[in-house]
Amino acid sequence: MPHAPDEGSRAKGASPPSAETFENQILSLVPSLRRYSRSLAKSDSDGEDLLQDCVEKVLVRRSQWRGINLRAWAFTIMTNLYRDRHRRSNQHPSVEFDETLGLTAEDVSGDPLEKTRLQQALNALTPEYRSVLMLVVVEGYAYQDVADLLSIPIGTVMSRLSRARRQMATHLAKDNIVTLRRPK
Amino acid sequence: MTDEHTPVTEADLHAFVDGLLDDDRRRHVELFLKDHPEEAAEVHQWQAQAKDLKAAFSSYARFGYNDRTLLNSKTQAGTPASVWRKAGLLAASLLLFLSGAVAGIYADRFYAGNPPVETASALESLPGQSKTAFLVYASEKRHPVEVGADDEAHLITWLGKRLDYKLVAPDLRTQGFSLVGGRLLPVNGRAGAMLMYQDPGGQRLTVLLGKNPHSTETSFRFETSGSIETFYWIDGEIGYAVTGEVTRAKLQAIAEECYRQFES
Repeated sequence: MPHAPDEGSRAKGASPPSAETFENQILSLVPSLRRYSRSLAKSDSDGEDLLQDCVEKVLVRRSQWRGINLRAWAFTIMTNLYRDRHRRSNQHPSVEFDETLGLTAEDVSGDPLEKTRLQQALNALTPEYRSVLMLVVVEGYAYQDVADLLSIPIGTVMSRLSRARRQMATHLAKDNIVTLRRPK
Repeated sequence: MTDEHTPVTEADLHAFVDGLLDDDRRRHVELFLKDHPEEAAEVHQWQAQAKDLKAAFSSYARFGYNDRTLLNSKTQAGTPASVWRKAGLLAASLLLFLSGAVAGIYADRFYAGNPPVETASALESLPGQSKTAFLVYASEKRHPVEVGADDEAHLITWLGKRLDYKLVAPDLRTQGFSLVGGRLLPVNGRAGAMLMYQDPGGQRLTVLLGKNPHSTETSFRFETSGSIETFYWIDGEIGYAVTGEVTRAKLQAIAEECYRQFES
């Protein structure tokens, strides 16, 4: 189970960062945290919720941070929050809020229906598969880094990545798209 | 290089896709893929997938106007910040709902100076809206449509005007369906049109047309929900969805006929 380092494991002598520095560092990470949270979420507003909860938790646990790689630490916290939320929402399904009320991607290029298909394929993945796929593909982490970040063996990273890719491919199979030609 | 003699594993194929191989190993995998079309096809699929995923989420890697408030969310008595955000969202959606009702009454006046916010996600619900319209109106005995087929010319002019589009009611008689009529319906929060058809056995199907905020073109898709099939596509400024409780093959033939008859 991936866990953020607890109080006891904090390196001796590593003084907690000053408020200004720590908060500014968190702020500078927001774009990449936002991308990761959205890649795990079902909708834009769901992604913003996850981002907000993550930043909050990072701030609350700031004394536990060991002073190295804040991004990876925040990503671990985000992944755990996502997994817990997913588990909770499966037990207590809640009303989905209108996606259009959330943050909206500025990028409107591309086929909107294709994006929906991609989102559906992602939603069908388990949180374990999805987080590995996103950390590797979207966030660009190497396999060993993902293993460290999630506290799992690298073999598990590889098998999750492999299953995630194959499940996505099955979902995205183009057999339910028909190309039409209008006779001129 | 001993490297080149070790067999290519699946882990190599993933690392190839993710750009995590060194040059020698990468060339080795490239050679391997030339001789192994099945693996090559899968790798190709994974590469396309990766490209789509990156494209889908890259635009989120940015600062928001209110990012600093993220830092102030240390919360009231342990309530997660997201709960407060959700409460705000709920209020906002209620407000939107209410303003939608008002805007519905004064649509023309309001929209003239104040176009509604348009997002891609509004578009994505086209098949869902079409299914709802079908479920609500196809089962309606007395008032399935506002304007009947006996007044087709008026129906087409009226709806076409509201949609700002040169509407035609596709002739589906070759498919065994004749026009029942149509009605004005909100689609993505704007004026849209629904046309209804019926076969001699009383089986009905609906065609929904809505304004598409961004001029795009998509392939033809279908969505199944129980026994109800919906075919939908976007062509330029208009999104179309054909819904019916008929076989997919039959509905596809009908949708193709509609596609041919609607102006692009």
